[in-house]
Amino acid sequence: MKTDVAVIGTGLAALAAARTVQQSGRRVVLVWPGLSSLYFLYATVDVIGYPTATAADPIAHPAQAVARLIAQEPSHPYARAGMKAVEAGIALMLEWFKEAGLAWEGTLDRNFLLPTATGTPKPCCLAPASMTAGDLSRPDPIVLCGFTGYQDFAPEFAAANLARQWRTAEVSAVRITAPGYGPDRHFTSIDLARSFEDAAFRDAVAAQLRERVTSQGARVGIPGVLGLTNPSESFAAFQRAVGHPVFEIPTVPPSVIALRLFDRLRKHLQEAGIEIIWAAPAHAADVTDGRCRNVLLKAAGHELPVEAESYVVALEDWVDGAFRAGVHTVRDPFFHQPIAWSNVPTDRTAESLFATQPFEQVGYALTERLQPADENGTPLARNVFCAGGAMAGYDPSGTKSRGGMAIATGYRAAQEALAA
Amino acid sequence: MITEEFEPTTDTVEEEASVEACTKCTACNTVCPVARSTDIFRGPKALGPDLERFRSPQEAAVTPGLDLCSGCKLCEVTCPSQVSIQEYIRRAQNQGAREKGRSLRDWVLGRTRLLGKLGSMTAPLANFGNSNPLFRVLMERFVGIHRRRPLPKYQWLTFERWFKRHPRPVKPRRKVAYFYGCWVNYNDRRLGERAVAVLERNGIEVIVPRQQCCGIPAVVNSNMDLARRYGQENVRHLTPIVEEMDIVASSTSCGLMLKHDYGHLLDIPGSERVGAKTYDIMEYLWMLHEAGELDLNFETVPMRLLYHAPCHLKSHGIGYPAMRLLKLIPGVKLEEVDEGCCGISGTFGVKVEKYDLSMKIGSRLFEAVKAAGSDQVLADCETCRMQVEHGTGATSAHPLEILARAYGHG
Repeated sequence: MKTDVAVIGTGLAALAAARTVQQSGRRVVLVWPGLSSLYFLYATVDVIGYPTATAADPIAHPAQAVARLIAQEPSHPYARAGMKAVEAGIALMLEWFKEAGLAWEGTLDRNFLLPTATGTPKPCCLAPASMTAGDLSRPDPIVLCGFTGYQDFAPEFAAANLARQWRTAEVSAVRITAPGYGPDRHFTSIDLARSFEDAAFRDAVAAQLRERVTSQGARVGIPGVLGLTNPSESFAAFQRAVGHPVFEIPTVPPSVIALRLFDRLRKHLQEAGIEIIWAAPAHAADVTDGRCRNVLLKAAGHELPVEAESYVVALEDWVDGAFRAGVHTVRDPFFHQPIAWSNVPTDRTAESLFATQPFEQVGYALTERLQPADENGTPLARNVFCAGGAMAGYDPSGTKSRGGMAIATGYRAAQEALAA
Repeated sequence: MITEEFEPTTDTVEEEASVEACTKCTACNTVCPVARSTDIFRGPKALGPDLERFRSPQEAAVTPGLDLCSGCKLCEVTCPSQVSIQEYIRRAQNQGAREKGRSLRDWVLGRTRLLGKLGSMTAPLANFGNSNPLFRVLMERFVGIHRRRPLPKYQWLTFERWFKRHPRPVKPRRKVAYFYGCWVNYNDRRLGERAVAVLERNGIEVIVPRQQCCGIPAVVNSNMDLARRYGQENVRHLTPIVEEMDIVASSTSCGLMLKHDYGHLLDIPGSERVGAKTYDIMEYLWMLHEAGELDLNFETVPMRLLYHAPCHLKSHGIGYPAMRLLKLIPGVKLEEVDEGCCGISGTFGVKVEKYDLSMKIGSRLFEAVKAAGSDQVLADCETCRMQVEHGTGATSAHPLEILARAYGHG
């Protein structure tokens, strides 16, 4: 099929790129290998949380920190995107969230410090409004609430951890029973989220909390399961019924908070007439005379060629199938080039789980315009542009910068694609 | 237990996604329409890749709720690692049926062509029985077909016989083979007539090759051996055909069987060559359009239409060609109703023990359709159309029928 720009990928980089093309009035098609990175990597948009992977003190002002990073590290993905793309990309997404009816908060001028499900304070730049009452710069005591039988959030564990790291006010834990969730039932966050759409269920949970949370001025932290399809309404009703400020804490997959974001933005694009091709991973590119003529998708039975003026490869990390690792080499799905594994130490993993991981550094070498390049710096195809985890040296985990890097590079790659 | 030190000798990149490729991300569980609607069903991750590790050719590892998987394949559409989740479940269901035996009902439901032959031969009688309340009570009691599920009407004149008398077009530009499937042959000949009309309008001669049921009713009723026999027969008939021309199918699931499942699920030798030349009819027409060969002299069709994308269409991995095509027609106001699975999944929602679940799965779609208040609901899949009509009272059509109307075939 034919289009102006084809965006390959499902994460925030791909969505930011698609939105950028859409706003320009050109035609865009999204190619999805499956519901993936956005869905388990993002509940918040982290622009930059720590200056380095091992730094102890979180960053308070993300815009300044990114500007410093750009000045210091010219090959960093933020430097490749440029400060303008960071600002314009974040502005684009905030406006989009609003238009799509997603209640989100935040600016580039400050970081929230929000508790995770393990009770660690985590800096993040943009967050759903349902999470921000958990900000640890506020001094109000916190009660963490878990559900009996729900394996993915242990309030006692999170509360003990949080109390150790955040000494401002008291942290405690309660466990309540969700109606209908007996000891024999195996359930996850998605089941609870569906139940929370039901007003009677919501009220029954709220009544228990009202009774159990007695301390004056306390706020209640609860796993991010408060509704799925109409979360703002479910959340407001629940908070009213509890009688305390409530905040959600993102869970391990299935992350309902990420799913809400993903579902809403997907539907919003589809409502605007943008087509998404599912279940057809890209597996080859036809490049002639330095130009990509089409990208071949692995559809059922045969290949589906997507013929675009330009392409944005916005695959995230390994989880999107951007790269496949053999025993000795790493290959990409488009050019079938062995990927720059050589500038990485032979060991793929660092000894410490929390250190910078060599396998995270793998990716396309790039030109100034974010085109994947060979070892001489020549573009592999003039009209292909790269964003997100497929870039070499893209490692957002340690510095807590995944969302910001995805959005900035997605925005910039789309601008280049439009100019190509 | 690892007894030898692992020493890699080659540098192979694993091509076929296996159970090992599952990262336990749970994406499949969030989209599963059955898991959304009943808490007995543990979800595709547990019943597919998780349990697969405990299965062997000797042992089925049949677990409670396994038969509730309706086979919509949304789990596979969603999987970022392209794990064949539903196929693991399907094979386990099949193995279970092989060990325990199949009910008469599932034996019958797997044989759509036999049902079609009998139904069309006795059309007035069969249709009377299928809509007679007393007969339906008996059918529920003794066969296990839910009494409230409307059954498709059979027609006396089959598509095959209609086509034999259909005059050939003069000077066609090219030929295409039409896999019409049991639905068009026994229940909806008019859809087939329109498919022929639309193709001929574009200078394409339609060839109707000899064909058998595609086999999906047998697959979903846990009779993969029967499905394989049907598939082998089709591959035998169609292999010489694809040397000369492409194949189009107007049923989403028939098309998916030919394209993908013959090779992947049923391991039918030679099926890849047939699959590589098979197209969904809307996909094929869109390709014609992009090649500049589609006749765009459409009449205005002043209709407000809702499009429901069938789950199996998503598995084709071709996007929504029907939506693209219908947007070319003046007057058409088209919106997608994006509420997921309709719940019927072929013969799944016909069964007495699954009817309620099937209606619950579809309830979100039904509400959205009722709220939208369109002139007609479009879906490429025949059982989706049956389910939407039953759940909402709306009328439905294959998107091709709108195209035919725009060409003057009301």
